[in-house]
Amino acid sequence: MVEPRAELVIEGLSKTYPGGVRALRGVSLRIPSGMFGLLGPNGAGKSTLMRTIATLQDPDEGSIQLGALDVLRDKDRVRRVLGYLPQDFGVYPHLDPLSLLDHFAVLKGITARSERKAVVEALLNRVNLWDQRKQKLGGFSGGMRQRFGIAQALLGDPRLIIVDEPTAGLDPHERSRFLNLLAEIGEHVVVVLSTHIVEDVADLCFEMAIIAKGRVLRHGEPQRAIDELRGCTWKKVIAKEELAGHQADHMVISTRLVGGRTVIHVFAEDAPGDEFAAVDPDLEDVYFTTLAKAA
Amino acid sequence: MLATFLKFELRYRLRQPAVYVFSLIFALLTFGAMTSDAVVIGGGSGQTAINAPFVITQMLGIMSVVSVILVTAFVSTAVIRDFELSTDALFFTKPIRKLDLLAGRFLGAVAVAFIVMIAAAVGLAVGTMMPWLDAERVLPFSATPYLRALLVFVLPNLVVMGSFFFAIATLTRRVLPAYVGVVAFFVVYSVSQSFAGDLDNDTLAALSDPFGMAALGTSTRYWTVAERNSALVPLDGTLWLNRAVWLGLAGVCFGLTVRRFSFASRARKPKRGDDSRDESSGLQGSRTDAPLVVVQPRFGAGTGLVQLWHALRVELGAVVRGKVFIVVVLFAVLNVVGGALGTMDELYGTPILPVTHLMVRVVDRVFALFVIIVITFYAGERVHSERQVGLHEVYDALPVPSWVPLLGKLGALWAAVFVLLGVGALTGMAIQLARGYTHLEPALYLEGLWGLSLSQWAMVCVLAVFFQVLVNHKYLGFLLMLIFFGSQIVLPALDLQHGIYRYGWAPSTPYSDMNRYGHFITPALWYRLYWSLFAAGLLVVANLLWVRGTDARLRLRLREARRRATRLQLGLLAGLVAAVFGVGAFILHNTTVLNDYRTDDDEEDAAVRYEQLYKAAWDAAPQPRVVAADLEVEIWPHSREVALRGTLELVNRHDAPIDRLMVAVEPRLAVESLGLPDAALVEHDEELGVRIYRLEPALAPGAALSFPFSLRFAEAGFRNHGSVTQVVGNGTFFTSGFVPHFGYDAERELGDPNERRKRGLPARVRMRPPTDMAARANTYITREADWIRFAATVSTSSDQIALAPGYLVRQWDEGDRRYFRYEMDAPILDFYAFLSADYVVARDHWNDVAIEVYHHAPHDMNVPRMIESVKASLDYFTANFSPYQHRQVRIVEFPRYASFAQSFPNTIPYSESLGFIADLSGEDAIDYVFYVTAHEVAHQWWAHQVIGAEVQGSTMLSETLAQYSALMVMEKTYGRAKMKEFLEYELDRYLEGRSAELERELPLSLVENQPYIHYNKGSLVMYALREVMGEAVLNGVLAQYIADVGFQSPPFTTSLELVERIRAAMPERFAYLVEDLLETITLYDNRAIEAKATPLGGDRFAVELVVESHKQRADGAGAEQDVPLDDWLQLGVYGEDETAEPLYLEWHHITGPRTEVRVEVSGRPARAGIDPQVLFIDRDPDDNVRKVEVSE
Repeated sequence: MVEPRAELVIEGLSKTYPGGVRALRGVSLRIPSGMFGLLGPNGAGKSTLMRTIATLQDPDEGSIQLGALDVLRDKDRVRRVLGYLPQDFGVYPHLDPLSLLDHFAVLKGITARSERKAVVEALLNRVNLWDQRKQKLGGFSGGMRQRFGIAQALLGDPRLIIVDEPTAGLDPHERSRFLNLLAEIGEHVVVVLSTHIVEDVADLCFEMAIIAKGRVLRHGEPQRAIDELRGCTWKKVIAKEELAGHQADHMVISTRLVGGRTVIHVFAEDAPGDEFAAVDPDLEDVYFTTLAKAA
Repeated sequence: MLATFLKFELRYRLRQPAVYVFSLIFALLTFGAMTSDAVVIGGGSGQTAINAPFVITQMLGIMSVVSVILVTAFVSTAVIRDFELSTDALFFTKPIRKLDLLAGRFLGAVAVAFIVMIAAAVGLAVGTMMPWLDAERVLPFSATPYLRALLVFVLPNLVVMGSFFFAIATLTRRVLPAYVGVVAFFVVYSVSQSFAGDLDNDTLAALSDPFGMAALGTSTRYWTVAERNSALVPLDGTLWLNRAVWLGLAGVCFGLTVRRFSFASRARKPKRGDDSRDESSGLQGSRTDAPLVVVQPRFGAGTGLVQLWHALRVELGAVVRGKVFIVVVLFAVLNVVGGALGTMDELYGTPILPVTHLMVRVVDRVFALFVIIVITFYAGERVHSERQVGLHEVYDALPVPSWVPLLGKLGALWAAVFVLLGVGALTGMAIQLARGYTHLEPALYLEGLWGLSLSQWAMVCVLAVFFQVLVNHKYLGFLLMLIFFGSQIVLPALDLQHGIYRYGWAPSTPYSDMNRYGHFITPALWYRLYWSLFAAGLLVVANLLWVRGTDARLRLRLREARRRATRLQLGLLAGLVAAVFGVGAFILHNTTVLNDYRTDDDEEDAAVRYEQLYKAAWDAAPQPRVVAADLEVEIWPHSREVALRGTLELVNRHDAPIDRLMVAVEPRLAVESLGLPDAALVEHDEELGVRIYRLEPALAPGAALSFPFSLRFAEAGFRNHGSVTQVVGNGTFFTSGFVPHFGYDAERELGDPNERRKRGLPARVRMRPPTDMAARANTYITREADWIRFAATVSTSSDQIALAPGYLVRQWDEGDRRYFRYEMDAPILDFYAFLSADYVVARDHWNDVAIEVYHHAPHDMNVPRMIESVKASLDYFTANFSPYQHRQVRIVEFPRYASFAQSFPNTIPYSESLGFIADLSGEDAIDYVFYVTAHEVAHQWWAHQVIGAEVQGSTMLSETLAQYSALMVMEKTYGRAKMKEFLEYELDRYLEGRSAELERELPLSLVENQPYIHYNKGSLVMYALREVMGEAVLNGVLAQYIADVGFQSPPFTTSLELVERIRAAMPERFAYLVEDLLETITLYDNRAIEAKATPLGGDRFAVELVVESHKQRADGAGAEQDVPLDDWLQLGVYGEDETAEPLYLEWHHITGPRTEVRVEVSGRPARAGIDPQVLFIDRDPDDNVRKVEVSE
């Protein structure tokens, strides 16, 4: 069994796919119990890392420990304490959530019928699928399916919860409900939440890592990262044509449209000059700055 | 626009591998069929050239039936792939016309399929040029037959089939219904073809076959070898009509597809309840604040089992609720009904009773294909089910051992086969009850289907799952299964027949009501055990290699397997490997050490060796003749042993001394002692069972030699195949073949001329001409004897009765054995048999002749018919031919390992499958039990009184005359109308038989033991002779013939002697018929062209009849030549009532191809024509008569 408050320790994880894509390049992370956010753009290696932790694939090098458990060798043990929500998953279209969740509950080791019933019903309620419990999963919308995925990941008192892009496709209401649920569970267990939505991490996580191109770019507490950036982030409203010129002159970390006009954020230790205004940085600026620095 | 789509489709397809893979497979198939015996696709036999136009057309035609799957694969995705790839929005928003798009895509797909079929034709053509083919059977290359087959059959078939399945796939926008449609189509097709296969509705059958093969079959059914080799397939009216009808239907189908097709993306129909309930409404909404329930999962010893049980239920639900499964079950049931009807229509259109073992066999055979489909398809579906819906990442991270999903999925497959076979059993019972047969034997269904059959399919399930796990690719797994099923067919053809390397194979277990599964069950169980252990080993490996996670490369899985391999699993695997070796060694010991393992090729090699070693020296060597046999036969049914002792009396009938004796003993018998000292043994070939002794002193002319012997038969252990069926637990039946024989036996030579050529043997003279006096010294039954004195003591276990020819003179018990002493009071042919079984005896008598039928107790249904037939036969034969030489007729049942009846002196062994279970309840059924019995009784005259010499034409004296005798007995009992029906079958079989001739057809009087001539043509010829000569005259000839040659000494009679007698008695105007019917192969083409009638007042009518006649002579290969007509043929006019006397039936002198006749009749004419009774052989007997048009 996994001792309470066990840490997840990842050492030197590397993985190269047959096509030559190097998904992970010596990733090392120490993840304490509680919510941990894994931020990164598409193709950063987040899912590879998540799947590796979830016993679904082996790295070429490196090790993963969950407390005293060797995750890569003792897969069966790990699976007993694991709750996993993959980024992308399907369901049996002909089954309803009640019976499929019940099926998963058995496979999770909840073999007593009455216990199973209680767990399944509670979870379906919590993810707001109780009304739809008898409808075919084939007719579910993406958000409903995602909620079902969350329910199955939480079955059976997991000590290690891996959720890959869990909030994708959820409306704001459901998203907040899910984050609350996660926060409730995540106090005493390791929860790794991968996302490219900075807000998720900002709202929820005590610790986070930013990875890109298979490397960990930054690892630590979100707030400290934001503090580090204070005084180095500036913004300016520009015309679209001016963008190229600004990119040449400054370290532009993000570009976005606000009310039809282009707003850029730049990173600079010192004030970059005219028309740039200082910004109180948020996690998003941390994220983009980290990526921009790495590029 | 259309051209653009067509080009696009072609370019798209030609960039995909499918077309090349299919081309390769098809070309290899046809190449293989052409160049080896391992692959068989239609094809000719015997003297038909390997690449005869007929064969090429047939092969490509059959390939085009197979190509339904091919064309469906292409057309089904032609349009719907846009929906699947979601490119529909891109394509269908462009301003294009539906017709252009659909026609372009459809024609493109068909064109690609046609390319594959061209590859098949090329494979065939290249095959014909391979140097190892028998050059004598290859015709020079010509492209015409290929082109004709491709254009007349293949291309239209692709268009027709393509349009149907294109419609299904395109309109439902799913591929699966198209394939389900293909399955449905094949089922309906095969059932309808078997119904259409009746004699009466050839044209309908020809039209109803969408492939045109039936039309082809109808026009070439009676083709002779010569025609097959030279003629192109005729493009006659029926064929054109067939093509036109089906292409028309295809056009309509395509038109409907275009009309109904819509570009619009189909919105999913909202299901009730999907939208009706607002998420936030209602009191029973989710309580999203409900407290989480925390339950600690428990993992103990039983957890896995609970999980397995659960997984099994989920998996099974997915299988049996699947549409494919339900469809397959339905079709399987339909097919069983069709198959049962087909199988039960056994002989002359008379059904056999739907006994349970027959139904089990039908279900087993028919379901095989469907079980294969279910196993292959669902192994792929279930193993990949999580991956297919994208649930695998969740599933694989669950805390279940791999064996839970593995066994869950496998168990579901097993259960599916279990259900399928159960449905089969219920169908079988339903058919039995529907036929009014109530003797259901549920235990037999259980043993046959859920026992023997399921246990083999279970291993196939394991293999299918194993393949899917191993290659982790659904279609590759399917391909491996396809290769496996193919190998099951190919391996034995390549002479790899041992079950030790044929996965899942076991020796067959023929069931007989008499002997049940008998001794066949033991080896079947050992082989099953062997392969079950092997399969269990595969399962352990599959468990180790079970795909878990997202990186499923085999190399990584092998590494992972090392991590997963627990000591328990490795121990289990090692134990299984050891057990496989142990059981395998036991099987090998039984099949190759205790018994000889001989392949078909080995048997042929032995025949070749026999001929090469002994023919030159011994074929004509004088040998003494057997004149008496006194035997002592001990049969031990339960241990399947026979001790055969006795003394044969030999006499030198030649005028020179004999100093060498060639003795042959059936190689499977052990020799305990033979009558000559070992010192005299000159040569001994154990494999062939041939011993050559020196006789010292030489046996002087006229001197006698007593030859005592002691042999023993016992089958130690079990055999891989070819276990002896003559000595069994209940129903032993072996013939004089088990006693030692003397001299060279030409019957042991390799007969098939193609095989002989392949093995470098010279062409063989099948039989010598009737003028060969040396050959006339022997009967055609055996060279070693003619008439012998016979007596035998036969003993068996106390629960059985043992029989041999002769009269029972004494019966006694000794210990737990029963003894029977049989003695013959007059000489008999050297041709006898021994039988033993637990019999019930039905007794009757005719005058002072005792009639006894020894049968299996429940098989009493038709015994009264047999007795009736024996009585009627004795009546007719004694009145018309000669007295019966014995005081007894015995019919003795034997198990269905063979399906004939055979006449030994006063004893007629009769197979349980022939007659004992015939269903004679139908009013108009041809009573073949009556007929077969009469035929066998007639052999007591024709064979056991008159026996021909070992020359051409001799079987005419036995089989043809027995056939005639049986016909007369049958006609006396059942009337003339039945005869016409019977003779129609005989004509059909004769014509089919001659087109399958291996060497050459001969006239009846020179027949070389060719069944289609001496039985089927014989019936027709003798019946015609009876009609023209009159029964009394013909029987007079036969009676005198018996009086002159019956029981004669050498030289023996020949057919020429009978032909001369017939010639002498023939009415003058029919004199030419002796040549036509007996001495040549002559066929008529008679047809009624016109038949009109005008009323003459009262009930008188004038009938004007125009008929056409042609007469042809054929040579041995079937090449025909017209010969001038100077013949007498019957013209007839019939009324409405077919069974009433004809209104007019007279012989007319026909001298030219066209004859016009006007006759006046009393009564309204309905049909009229030439040779209306089809007395003479006519390839198209149906057009002899036509409807009369009556003008009012």
